[in-house]
Amino acid sequence: MLDQLIQFLITGITVGAAYALVGLGFAIIYNASDVVNFAQGEFVMIGAMSAISLIDMGIPYGVALAAAVAITVCVGLALEKFAIEQARDATVVSTIIITIGASIFLRGMALIVWGKDIYAMPPFSGEKPIHVGNATMLPQNIWVMAGTAASVLLVRYFFNRTATGKAILACSYNMKAASLVGINVRKMLLISYGLSAGLGALAGILIAPITYITYDSGVMLGLKGFSAAILGGMGNPMGAVAGGMLLGLLECIGAGFISSGYKDAIAFVVILMVLFFRPGGLFGSAQAERV
Amino acid sequence: MRLAGFYLFAALVALLPVVFPDNYYVTVVGVTAFFNIMLAVGLNLLMGYAGQISLGHAAFFGIGAYVSAVTTVRYGWNPWVAMAAGLVLVWLIANLIARPILRLKGHYLAMATLGFGIIIHIVLVQADAFTGGPDGLSGIPGLVLFGWHVDSDLRWYVVAGAVMLLYVWLSLNIIDSREGRALRAVHGSEVAASTLGIDISGTKVRVFVLSALMASLTGSLFAHQQAFVSPDSFSFFFSIELVTMVVLGGLASTFGAVFGAVILTFLPEFLVVFEDFQMLIYGAILMLIMIFLPRGLFVTMADRIGPMFAGYFRQGIRET
Amino acid sequence: MGVLLQVSGLVKAYGGVRAINDLSFDVKKGKVFSVIGPNGAGKTTLFNLLTGVDTPDTGSVNLDGYELVGRPPHRVAACGVSRTFQNLQIFHNMTVIENVMVGCHLRGCSGLWSAALRLPSLLAEERRIRTWADEALAFCGMEDLAQARSSELSYGVLKKLEIARALAAKPRMLLLDEPAAGLNDTETLEMCELIKKISETGVTVLLVEHNMGLVMDVSSWVFVLNYGSCLAQGTPREIQRNPQVIAAYLGGETGIE
Repeated sequence: MLDQLIQFLITGITVGAAYALVGLGFAIIYNASDVVNFAQGEFVMIGAMSAISLIDMGIPYGVALAAAVAITVCVGLALEKFAIEQARDATVVSTIIITIGASIFLRGMALIVWGKDIYAMPPFSGEKPIHVGNATMLPQNIWVMAGTAASVLLVRYFFNRTATGKAILACSYNMKAASLVGINVRKMLLISYGLSAGLGALAGILIAPITYITYDSGVMLGLKGFSAAILGGMGNPMGAVAGGMLLGLLECIGAGFISSGYKDAIAFVVILMVLFFRPGGLFGSAQAERV
Repeated sequence: MRLAGFYLFAALVALLPVVFPDNYYVTVVGVTAFFNIMLAVGLNLLMGYAGQISLGHAAFFGIGAYVSAVTTVRYGWNPWVAMAAGLVLVWLIANLIARPILRLKGHYLAMATLGFGIIIHIVLVQADAFTGGPDGLSGIPGLVLFGWHVDSDLRWYVVAGAVMLLYVWLSLNIIDSREGRALRAVHGSEVAASTLGIDISGTKVRVFVLSALMASLTGSLFAHQQAFVSPDSFSFFFSIELVTMVVLGGLASTFGAVFGAVILTFLPEFLVVFEDFQMLIYGAILMLIMIFLPRGLFVTMADRIGPMFAGYFRQGIRET
Repeated sequence: MGVLLQVSGLVKAYGGVRAINDLSFDVKKGKVFSVIGPNGAGKTTLFNLLTGVDTPDTGSVNLDGYELVGRPPHRVAACGVSRTFQNLQIFHNMTVIENVMVGCHLRGCSGLWSAALRLPSLLAEERRIRTWADEALAFCGMEDLAQARSSELSYGVLKKLEIARALAAKPRMLLLDEPAAGLNDTETLEMCELIKKISETGVTVLLVEHNMGLVMDVSSWVFVLNYGSCLAQGTPREIQRNPQVIAAYLGGETGIE
């Protein structure tokens, strides 16, 4: 029983770490531009797929991973430049449809480039299981956890300590005021999209060796990332990280003790309950409207 | 003439099978288009007029379809009784979740409705003892209307077309009434609406339930027409497609929803020739329309063609 | 003349700041009661508390025997309270006449189903609502704009539209939140006449306004609010002479002579 629980915790934290990264990407973009980017999951897929292809081409492992992140960042920048920026005054519903359109578009592109095949990625460092009591974990699990922890810390540092990070935060509070004090708002938006695309790609690369990747893997991951961000309270990056971890744990424990078929349903039921009783998310402030 | 656009549309629907008899695009794709119009018109009441986004509308469509399928196939119920049972169940569920869900706004509302849609979809896949699981359920009997068997493409065209026209008529009527104005007022400014005596949450709940019921009935008809249901038809993607139909035509316009539904039904038929590029083109079209014509294709067109036509199609201005 | 509205012990704090601090006052039936005070004095907060948009921490608001505190806005409206907004809350998705027809909401009773099936009872009610709305528009001198889209109108006209919409509800008390703000001199004069005309029909008017000329002209009682408390109250003449009020406004932009 205890071993089982530890096993679920290990899996849960791993899965949760991936959700956390995707959710973090959601929160960063939402903060900077009030847009929920439904193409966030596609960043994950593109990152993983590009890495796998580059490795297959014989490019050294580390270089391939870096290049895959770079490719995804470019996709993110293009998305901002050619879609989001063109529709600056769009309503919430319009931006939702635009980013959903973008996600379908990117999935379509992936379908053309990679087909419908299932891809797997060789792990970063071997497949020899590590024993924790009677539970086991793969080296890749540790990579996922460590990679996520490191990127979350870096993102925190970026927003709290660097001028650019603070400028993006300023945009998220008040775009007009930010531009009045000389912040280049358009540049900050681009940076945010690039950053969250990069985080998405990183999530993809980290989890690709554990799961399989297909052209449509991004859909569920995107939805889970969105759920993580909502759970944490939209626009609260660290809340999104916590939400992601929570979601991963919930899912794995639900799958283990209740039913694996219903694991996604369990996660969404919890999200609905949270929204019903804490409409602003777990770590967010309640919504208020000015009259 | 308040209903001039409606009569024109009804005449078009009636004439199509006469002008193009046995045409695949009329009697087969046409019926699918009718179902999509019914769903889009119902969703438009909620989304376009009352301004409440729903990313889980396919769930109600699915519940209606599955109640009809399961009770007729597994328990041999009469299709009409099954249909009514579907409506009752959807009425219960919609009433249960409407209040807490509609308290949410913007992205939170989107998330909650999306979550609801996914939960229902998972149940349809997992409860295979009843639903047949991912493989679906086949052998759903056809409908019999006073001894008249609805068993050919053309007959289904007639039945679905009639119900579809009924939906459009109902929607046009509702919008142009005290309750319809209340809906639009809630969208325009909740605080102003409430200080004029409109019960905001009550109004939202009523339209949510109504559009859910409309979807459920459509689902039942769909199940009987297809004779087969599988969870794929009621997934998250279909909810998104419905939202797209409404937005594509133009929010807060009944004929905009009709237009959007027709376009999105036929688009894949024509994109089939592009094979693998289908998805890419579909996504690109969605983005382009939303970026460059954010008010929707139909509404923008209606405004461009001129006040002469716009007056016919745009509801709300009444001269009676 | 009796008292229509009785406010007593009203308190509302936002995170430690008392926006409304133990307010009590009476509003007489059929009069124009003005609330003045510098920006941030709590005037709009007061209106929000009176109309149920916001709930006070303590205190009571009594309208002719009905306790309004604790009722949601639509129930307060049903008691006969109507209002306009400082920053316009027009339904831009509707025409002018439809905006006013929404104002008649409380005077109708048809529901979703009779609307969907367009029953005869609904048609009769629609005709009545249309007549009432036309009357309210004509009262505000906007009858020729009935079919205009509200998004195409000027600011001054929209201010009047909000009043027409509020009047269409046939309120016993009308709350006007800065009706003359942003208007030019001619429009302000028109507004002044309109408020007097409303008052003559027997509707009690509660007015928040910065334009002192207008306030002193139309009001029968003036209530001066400062930091959420009552600084002074009295007839316009008394207020104009009140040394405390003059001190508070000294150097201000107001036109108290």
